[in-house]
Amino acid sequence: MGWEKFDPNLVSNDLVQDLKWDEQLRELFKQNERAVLDQYDLLPEERAAIEARDFRKLYDLGIHPYLGGQLSRFIWGNEAGKSAVEAANNLVASLTGQTPNISKT
Amino acid sequence: MAKIVFAAGVPHAPAIVGQFDHAPDEVKAVVTDTFEAVKQQMYAARPDVLIVFANDHLANSRVRSYPDFLIGTAREHRGPHSWFKPWIGCRDYVAKGNPDVAKALFRGMTHRGIRMTAKAENLNFDDNISVPVVMTDLDQSEIGLVPVLQNCTVPPYPDQYHCYAVGKALGDFVRNDLPADLRVGLIGSGGLSHEPGGARYYKIDQEFDRAFLQLTTQGDHDTLLKEMTPERMDTAGMGGTAEILAWYPIMGAIGECTGEDFGYSGWPNFRCGIGGVIWDLSTSKQHQH
Repeated sequence: MGWEKFDPNLVSNDLVQDLKWDEQLRELFKQNERAVLDQYDLLPEERAAIEARDFRKLYDLGIHPYLGGQLSRFIWGNEAGKSAVEAANNLVASLTGQTPNISKT
Repeated sequence: MAKIVFAAGVPHAPAIVGQFDHAPDEVKAVVTDTFEAVKQQMYAARPDVLIVFANDHLANSRVRSYPDFLIGTAREHRGPHSWFKPWIGCRDYVAKGNPDVAKALFRGMTHRGIRMTAKAENLNFDDNISVPVVMTDLDQSEIGLVPVLQNCTVPPYPDQYHCYAVGKALGDFVRNDLPADLRVGLIGSGGLSHEPGGARYYKIDQEFDRAFLQLTTQGDHDTLLKEMTPERMDTAGMGGTAEILAWYPIMGAIGECTGEDFGYSGWPNFRCGIGGVIWDLSTSKQHQH
């Protein structure tokens, strides 16, 4: 995996940064992810990848890896040593071709 | 002629704060020894101002309009940013700023042909600034912080040669633009190897890290610039390892100095190689580069 896939135009990069910067949006994402995704002009395959927790696909579409890692924390949790570990494990599973745990949204 | 009185490169992995208690003793010792030495030697050097170069983890600017060097000119710097609090698990802090030096830095670098960007608003700080602040209790001191958030991860980011040239301009700025009696500390914050958000999230490249620490403590900048390329950094961990480029402005500013490290840890649960260097400024060969 290299930088050749990175695309600064990809809207998912904005989505993740907005989630970092906007506490209300973060809360809405937890409660109603679809409502947040509706606010963004995502490519159909980009949205499908987010909904399927398919980070490999998102990376191929051009999300910045650091922001991809942060998206995993918005999905699975951000607490040091706890939910953040689950987020990292699920992210790595997706990137290496295993099935991520999509039970928690 | 202001004087650089302290210079160091430090790691800032959030886990060295949030996961410290869970680490084995020998790993804890690396963290403690590194930051205790930084703290002790920094305060002994009595800097008035501390300029910290650190990777901006995409926390302040869109990826499509990303500054290479963003100076925080605020009167005080608050952190960590709210989103990052559960991640790092450190105390809230308010560090004193130094708007005069921050603005002079912006002006001085502009006049030296180095494009920087400045913001008076509080920047969003994550581990980049928060770890060095809380580990050195900078917020308990009267030292004015000037943060410079550096693009180490959004392509195309400044390579090792540009970062080193920024450092040479930084040294010239300190010596010629700042008040004669001002004492300046410099810290580069970042590294060592890691791949945040990548498939090798838990991979640490110990061989790379040890080679980097060796070159930085030896003060052999020709070899450092030649061998430690962004490509090699990416091989050692994409999107993370290159934040050691934040050490290069410091090394460029002080010239070739030998330094001391305080051990190394490649404990996987920190998800980042850990090691730091304090340079002995009395050994500087300032004008060789």
